[in-house]
Amino acid sequence: MRCHIVPPHMLERIARNADDPALRARARRTLALTSAHATERRLAAPAAAPAPSGAAVPNRMIADAGHKERLPGTTARAEGAAATGDTSCDQAYDWLGATFEFYETAYGRNSIDGAGLKMISTVHYGERYDNAFWNGEQMVYGDGDGTIFTDFTGPLDVTGHELTHGVTQYTANLDYSGQSGALNESLSDVFGSLIKQMHLGQTADQADWLIGQGLLAPGVNGVALRSMKEPGTAYDDPQLGKDPQPADMSGYVRTYEDNGGVHINSGIPNRAFYLAAVAIGGHAWEKAGRVWYETLTGGSLASAVDFVGFAAATVQTATRLYGADSAETTAVADAWKGVGVSQ
Amino acid sequence: MKVTVVRSGGFAGIRRRGEADSASDPMLARLVGRVDLGSVPPPGRIPDQFVYDIDIDGRRTTVGEAQLNGPLRELVHHVLGHAE
Repeated sequence: MRCHIVPPHMLERIARNADDPALRARARRTLALTSAHATERRLAAPAAAPAPSGAAVPNRMIADAGHKERLPGTTARAEGAAATGDTSCDQAYDWLGATFEFYETAYGRNSIDGAGLKMISTVHYGERYDNAFWNGEQMVYGDGDGTIFTDFTGPLDVTGHELTHGVTQYTANLDYSGQSGALNESLSDVFGSLIKQMHLGQTADQADWLIGQGLLAPGVNGVALRSMKEPGTAYDDPQLGKDPQPADMSGYVRTYEDNGGVHINSGIPNRAFYLAAVAIGGHAWEKAGRVWYETLTGGSLASAVDFVGFAAATVQTATRLYGADSAETTAVADAWKGVGVSQ
Repeated sequence: MKVTVVRSGGFAGIRRRGEADSASDPMLARLVGRVDLGSVPPPGRIPDQFVYDIDIDGRRTTVGEAQLNGPLRELVHHVLGHAE
């Protein structure tokens, strides 16, 4: 159940009085994620009691680097605190909430490590800094230079992408180099996009399958930084160059830069996911997303896995979940053929 | 001396390349004199951080953003200021 359209007073009643403990916990969580500080304070007493179903609530912390390059910076907003009025800080806080809710609702995962890890984001990092990253412990966002890039806290899928690097670190821990690195990148794009799709309530055929839509400043010739649907078409601009991503193995790029082209060759598994999700239909996080999630977190993926090994693992997961002859498993197998990873 | 810097990686994955010659750039000549490519630690593989490939007259090294400081950092930003 997702409660966004339920008014807060009803949620509060559900949170206190519903017979189903899971329903009570979920209503509390939705209130914590979406409503004002005052509402949360009113619920402080019941929320402090042991959670009856174990349904998780987020623990967020936003820090402000004050345009320096030191981490984490000074605390700007702790969990449950009122909005600060700083757009980057408040956006980062809300998008961490949406990302947390995605993992909890879709896959029952409690935060980055599955055990309620505090989610820390630093905003206003550096001067006109054109990047966002995961440093192994937290997310970091620059303001962008304002000419090519806008604020990196803006698009939800950027937060989803960075937090998913944390999920990968705590699960398959894919080596950030070569094909396993491109898979690490692709998984961050896949779940980044799915987080946005759930937030917007979109099905696979309604989604834009773009990564970083809204991040390019006005005047830059491009729609986003990557397209999972059509890798290589996201931008073509005199300042940025052309989107270098290949759409299938025939365009695989061998390079020593970018840890072996992890942001380039990720286009191949990105498109495989898109093909599987669209062939299966419906909400992409429910089936295709579950296959990828369980493959990532299942414990049997080698940290140096290549595209062929990952493809085989997703087919195995789909077979286990839906059966060997199911439409879902066929869609996953066909997707990897569609990008030239399998025959 | 000819100095080339390539920045790759980052969330956007957009490559930047800069090139300069210390013969016509006194500031670069001073920076090159203060840089020791042999003492640079290996780049950590940190998701979405920038990676810098630096070439000073054929001597090469790769530096991760987190290790980029001191005169090498000044040199990188100076040369990328001339980015194509």
